This record gives sequence, C-alpha cells and structure tokens, in this order.
Amino acid sequence: MPSPATANPAIEIRHLNHWFGDGAARRIVLRDLNFTVERGRTTFLMGPSGCGKTTLLTLIGALRSVMEGSLQVLGKELIGADEATMVETRRRIGFVFQHHNLHRSLTVLQNVRMGLEVKGQSGAPDARDRCMEVIDAVGLSDHADKHQHQISGGQKQRAAVARALVGKPDLLLADEPTAALDSKTGREVIELMQRLARDRGMTVVMVTHDTRILDIADRIVEMEDGRLLDEATRHPGPVRKRPLPVSSKAG
Amino acid sequence: MLRGRTPLGWLQLTHSKARFAVASAGVGFAVLLVFMQLGFMNMLFDATTVIHRQFQSDLVLMSADAEGIVPDSGSFSRRRLIQSAGIEGVTAWAEVYIGTVSWTKPSDGTLGQIVVFGVPTDVPVFVDPTLEAQLPNLRVPGTFLLDEGSRGDFTAFFAQIAAGTDPVAKLGGETATAVGTFRFGASFGTEAIAIVSRETFLQIVPTRHPGVINMGLIRIEPGLDARAMADRMTAAIDAAEVKVWTMPDFIEVTRSFLRVNSPISTVFTFGVIVGLFVGAVIVVQILTSDVQDHLGEYATFKAIGFRNSFLLGIVYEQSAILTVAGFLPALGLSLLLYRLVGATVAMEMIMTAERVFWVFCLTAVMCAVAGTIAMRRIYTADPAEVF
Repeated sequence: MPSPATANPAIEIRHLNHWFGDGAARRIVLRDLNFTVERGRTTFLMGPSGCGKTTLLTLIGALRSVMEGSLQVLGKELIGADEATMVETRRRIGFVFQHHNLHRSLTVLQNVRMGLEVKGQSGAPDARDRCMEVIDAVGLSDHADKHQHQISGGQKQRAAVARALVGKPDLLLADEPTAALDSKTGREVIELMQRLARDRGMTVVMVTHDTRILDIADRIVEMEDGRLLDEATRHPGPVRKRPLPVSSKAG
Repeated sequence: MLRGRTPLGWLQLTHSKARFAVASAGVGFAVLLVFMQLGFMNMLFDATTVIHRQFQSDLVLMSADAEGIVPDSGSFSRRRLIQSAGIEGVTAWAEVYIGTVSWTKPSDGTLGQIVVFGVPTDVPVFVDPTLEAQLPNLRVPGTFLLDEGSRGDFTAFFAQIAAGTDPVAKLGGETATAVGTFRFGASFGTEAIAIVSRETFLQIVPTRHPGVINMGLIRIEPGLDARAMADRMTAAIDAAEVKVWTMPDFIEVTRSFLRVNSPISTVFTFGVIVGLFVGAVIVVQILTSDVQDHLGEYATFKAIGFRNSFLLGIVYEQSAILTVAGFLPALGLSLLLYRLVGATVAMEMIMTAERVFWVFCLTAVMCAVAGTIAMRRIYTADPAEVF
C-alpha cells in the first residue's frame, strides 16, 4: 500500500471539545479529543451509541461548527471557519449516509451527476462519461436510468457510493452505511467502497457497529463517552489492544 | 453556469403528474379569474362609450363639466356651437339634445326610464347608414325610433314596427308613434333609448329651451389636424362652460373619468387582487408541501456541499414553471370565455396584447412571492441531521 507523507495528515484533531445545550442542561459529547488520520487509510470509528462518534463525523464533515480545540480537515482549520470555508470543505469530501439519501425524483445517473454538479463540473463534456464510469464501477450500468424505487436496497447504497466518489473527493466519510442492509449485501457494499477508495487513494473514515466487516479497516478506533478509548490495528496481525500513539489520557 | 444544471424543480414537480396538474390548475384558475375581471371591467368601460361611437363627428362640443354623454352630461348654449361652426375648415355641424323621460313600456305597460336623443333631420348625425336613412321619417311630429337593445321583451312591439302598423307609446306624457328601430349595442347605463327630431324632443321635454343643447357635433375638412382644430375652437369660443374635443379624445376622457370617479375600477381591481391572492395561496400550499417533502433530500444536498442559494433556485424554478403551466391554458380558456360572454350579452370582450403581457407579469410575481414564502422552510434543512 502506498504510504503518503504523515506530515500532511487528512485529519488532525487537537484538544477537541464539543457539547450540546448550555448551562445546567449542557451535555458534553466530545472531551479533549486527540486524533490523527493519515492520508490514504481506512479508519473505522466504533463505540456504543451516544459515545459521540457521529458528532465527530459531522464535525469532520464540516456539517457542524467546531466549538473548542482544533480540527484540521484536508489542511483547513475548521474552528471559527465561515460558511464559505465549510461549504468548500464539504465539496472535497464524499459522504455516504446511513440511508442512501438519493433524490427520489432523480434517476441513478442524475443522482450521481449531482456529485459533479456541486463542484460545478456537470457541464463538462466528459461529465456523463465520468458518471457512467463510477456507476459501472459500482456495478449499476444496467440501472443508470432507473429511479430509486425500481432498485434494491443494496443497489441504492451502491448508487450513493457512486455519488460520493464521482467528484473524486480526498476524503470519504460514511456513517453506518450498512445499517439498512442485510449482512451479505452490507459487506459487498463496504468491500466495494473500500476497494474503490483505495484505488483512488482516498482516505476513508467510517462509523460502524458491524463487527463482521472489521477486517476491512486499516485502523480501528474505539470511542466511549466522548473519548478515544484505545486503538486496535488490524493489519498486520490480529486485533489487539494497545495504547493510542497520541495520548488522550489527559482528558 | 446553467449548463449541466439538473432541472430539479421540473423533475420534482412532474414527479407526481396528478399534483402537477392540480398545481397548474390552481394557478390557471387565478389567471382565469384575473382575465375575466379585467375583461368585464373593460367591457363596462367600453359600454359607457358605446353611444359616443354612434355619432358621425370629428369634433365634439361638450359642456366643460361633462361626464359622458348619457344621461347626465351638462348643457350649454346653442350659440357656442354656432360660434365654433363659423371657424374655417368646418364642413357640417349638428346640435344634439339629450334628456331622460319616463315612458310606458309597451312590453308590459309599466313605467320606465328612456333616454331621448333629439337630432336635426337634415344633416348627417349617425355612423350607421340604416339609421341615417330613417332620420327623414322623423320629420313627422310625434314620431320616434326605438333601440332594439332596450331592456325588456319588446318582440311584439318591434314586430308591429316592422309591419308598418305604427304602434304608439307614451313618452314623457306625450303619445308618440314608433316608426323604426336602430341598434346602438348594449349599454350598462341605460334601459332604453329613443331617437326623435329636434322638434319632437322639445315637445316631449317641454321644460327644455331650444337654445340649450347637450352636445355639438362638428365635421371638418379631411386632412385637417383634428386636435389642433379642437384647441383653436376652444380658444375662439373663449367660454368656460364648453370644451371642444376630438371624438377619440372624448371617448378616452369619458373612460378615464369613469376609471377615476366610478367604483368600477375599485370593484374589479379588488376582484383581481382576490384572484391573485387565491392563486398565491394555492401556490404557497403546493410549494410548501413540496419543500417539506424534500427536506431530507435538501439536507443531503447541503451536506454534500450545495449552498442555500441552490435550493432556493429549485423553488424559484418551480415558481416559473407553475407560472407558465398555469398561464397558457388559462389564457386559452379566457379567450374562449371572452367570445362566449361577448356573444351572450351582445357586447365585445376584447383581449389586448397589453393585458396578456401584464397578467403574465402579475402571474409571475404572484408565483415568485408564493415561492419566497414557501422557501423559508429550506433554511430548516440541517445538513448535520442527515448522519
């Protein structure tokens, strides 16, 4: 596997705090989080519900404003970032959601095209070819002109993956993309996503509960109560626990 | 910039054909309402000048405070007409007496109001040649011509006139013989109209002095500038009580007088506003529920990097589509109804290009305002909620 420069990580998190509500009702979701994701690697975020992993994902995805600490995504500091920077960052990220979130009035091809349109590239002469190439890669060439109600759940999620990949993002964020699928289909989709991302040199951060797909990850990070617990590295060797390289014990 | 843009507004609207049809019908209904209101209003204005257009005249001499011909134009001295007729370039002139008297309707014997025009019988007065040809018949005192458009069932009476049996009716207390008919076209202002000679008029309306007239008709040599002539005459007469108009100007003045001073405009403008309001409410409903239905999809679009302006564009695109999809069929239907109504009430309902243009603009504004109201919910689409 090519190993990009660690000096320029995809995500760099330092002393990140996040909370919801204020005063007595304040609920802390992330506590003094420290965490680095190198480029080109696939990281799984795991942990019980409510541990803050989805919040972390929305912060990385520039969907929520950073409150305290430092969060750099693809070289951009997001604390205090204005709306334009947030939108710009989102456009460099591919998103795969828990549900496919396809637009019901659009065909598979049109949905995938939206991934180009957001970057202003849908008018390019090769736009259709680029879309068909990804649609082909996720195995939906025969379904490109179908609407979402005409295809299966797995096919919908693959269409969503195609939409996320078509704009050639540097980072792919996924939140339990297999939750709505049966285990076999789920694994197929994840394998496909992982393969396509690796071929394109993308960094992947995925939240999952699905223990059957852990072998796919380069790195597994567990969270609990707003903190990173410890880390298990799948490759090489079997899953085993060991302390985090970047300490979060201070939290 | 528009190149490569997915027509989301169109795709979302047409995703459900039935809903799109209902939405277009809603806009179309409002447009139809507006067109009919404007059509009726203008028909009303036209109706008030129907009588103006019956007179064969280049210039009209009217009392300065005239508010239209029938039935309440002011009166003025006949000398003023003779004065203006003395100006070079005048080829013919005629004085017209106008009065409203009660008459016994030959239809059912009840009393009604009739507008009587007293005209000279030896000079051209009217545009209609068949009417003009009947004027010499009025030289027999106590004879009159009756408008076929008079309100009431006069079939039997008209049949008698046609048969030449000289039926009689009571006009202002005098017994008068009907010797013919004419057609002015329907008018809202009057129940019935009769034309009599100047002499018969003074007999029927004994309170009137022969030296006091209501309207002066002046014909000038062809090729002369009518407006300049009118101004010259007004100056030459030099009397505050009268004013000389060109016929087209006089028609326009009557219309604008009514527009400003009668409740007609107010009533119909209110009708137009109600129409637009109904349309806007329908469009707000349709677009709001469309935005609501797609809130999840909009949040997804925001999450993958689209701005609010992109989503607002979708709603405005839908407004524009509804404008066209509602306007065109409504225009077609309005044209059909204009003809139908026109034929029914024996008046012309005319669709002008100007009206088509303005109603289209109003429709576009209505849909755009409705879209602006509907799109407020777009801001509630939170991209952080999609994970």
